[in-house]
Amino acid sequence: MLLSLSNVSVYYGSAMAVAGIDLSVEEGRIVSVIGANGAGKSTILKAINGLVPIRSGSIEFDGRRIDGSPTDAVVKAGIACVPESRKLFPYMSVESNLKLGAYLRKDKQGIAEDLERVFQLFPRLKERLRQRAGSLSGGEQQMLAIGRALMSKPRLLLMDEPSLGLAPIVIDTLADTIIEINRGGVSVLLVEQNAGLVSRVAQWCYVIEVGALVLEGDIKEMMSNDSVRRAFLG
Amino acid sequence: MNRRSLSGAATASVVPVALVLVGLFVQGPYYLHLFIIIMMNVVLASSLRLINLSGQLSLAHGGLVTLGAYAAALLVMRLGLSSWLALLGAAVLSGIVSCLVGFPFTRLKGIYFTMVSVFFVQIIVLTVQQWRSLTGGASGLYGIPRPDGFWGLEFKSKTSFFFLMLALMLVSLGIMWAIEHSRVGMTFRGIQQTDSLAESVGINTTTYKVLAFSIGGFFAGLVGGFYAQYVSALDPTAFGFLFTIYILIYMIVGGAGTFVGPILGATLLTVLPEVARPLKSYMPFVFAAILMLIIFLMPEGLVGLPQRLRKLFIREPGGRSDVAG
Repeated sequence: MLLSLSNVSVYYGSAMAVAGIDLSVEEGRIVSVIGANGAGKSTILKAINGLVPIRSGSIEFDGRRIDGSPTDAVVKAGIACVPESRKLFPYMSVESNLKLGAYLRKDKQGIAEDLERVFQLFPRLKERLRQRAGSLSGGEQQMLAIGRALMSKPRLLLMDEPSLGLAPIVIDTLADTIIEINRGGVSVLLVEQNAGLVSRVAQWCYVIEVGALVLEGDIKEMMSNDSVRRAFLG
Repeated sequence: MNRRSLSGAATASVVPVALVLVGLFVQGPYYLHLFIIIMMNVVLASSLRLINLSGQLSLAHGGLVTLGAYAAALLVMRLGLSSWLALLGAAVLSGIVSCLVGFPFTRLKGIYFTMVSVFFVQIIVLTVQQWRSLTGGASGLYGIPRPDGFWGLEFKSKTSFFFLMLALMLVSLGIMWAIEHSRVGMTFRGIQQTDSLAESVGINTTTYKVLAFSIGGFFAGLVGGFYAQYVSALDPTAFGFLFTIYILIYMIVGGAGTFVGPILGATLLTVLPEVARPLKSYMPFVFAAILMLIIFLMPEGLVGLPQRLRKLFIREPGGRSDVAG
């Protein structure tokens, strides 16, 4: 198992955000966590990233415990994150944003190769290399956020609601992109509200509600089960 | 882009030459003193901007200048160090103190960081005032030795201090420029723009925030040390809260977004009270008014003035480049 969370709980002060969740991502797969606003989806990603401390349980990546490690150690271990609402460095150029994505890497050759790979994935970014990140359109910003995450050469890519605020047609391209990234050997943990996107890309899906897992399984089976679909997937 | 960096390089080489000429030909002690104060303020405002570059608005500068000034004086007077070593020691000590307080301070974000940095100034000033046996207390410190001469150079005249400060300013600005345009500078900017994302890409934000704060403290201490040796007398309240606010105003009025901004702001606003002598007792009001005008009319600071004027007279088609989202 590439990533496994067992019995992970996260509290904000005394408020519980995630309650004893078990979740795992097998190497090479696309796994999704789906749930409504405030269900604790983003918190799970933050916990994996080391941005919030966990109160109980453990998080293992590639057989090593990473809970309690600082974020830079988590990134170094091979986990990259595309944060919610496609956070960028808005006053920096597209190029600088991508280079900061490779912040912890020293291998110039490898960085240059990955930059080319990102341009293959998103030719648009190459056209806008010198443009300020903040002046890109929403879809382009999302490309840049993903490209930036890939620049750290991750084995696991965490994506926090990448579909948010994107037009349906852009979401279609996004789905293709995620599949293509996965084919390139990167495992993906996708947190989403958009069941359509999840059903197009994910092989396995966890449904969470108010911080707890309520269901897990194959997304296509879930979608075909009417009662499940109505209850959880909208 | 290329033309801009070329004209920037031209300015960067013309200004020092002009200043050297000033030092050679200006004889009046008043003007030399004014230029020295300008150059001190330039270094202070620029070093405040360096801290600001990492997303932290520090108001600790007055405390760090005080610390450097007293350190430079006392290292010579009590420990018998050579004056040059004391000057360097003052800068290093301020840097170290910034680093030590930086760790708890930078845990706080936004306005909370700014607030503790204000308290820091008060604590330093009060300590200096109360620790009479060491610092001479509220009555101040007198008879601080001038820098030792070397290679036949003597540090007694205003001209000699003018050139000393000019050298300190050019070296300081050079170092700050190099830092800003290095990988470290890019890291500072990343933290400034999106703190949480900087952490996500693997930047240890605490380390870099403390680093920025310490470098700023180093230069503040250097200026303080120079001042002690130049004026040869110290008053514990000289670099208090109001002084710190002035440095902040220099930075904002000039424009915190660019390297030249604080240089421009410190220069113009140090000269202003001199040319507007009759208004001198109202200066805090004048400064406040200027600050508000700038914030409302030119948020990017005085550095944006040429471009604004150009836009006013020449209508450029589609000149907007606002941040989306």
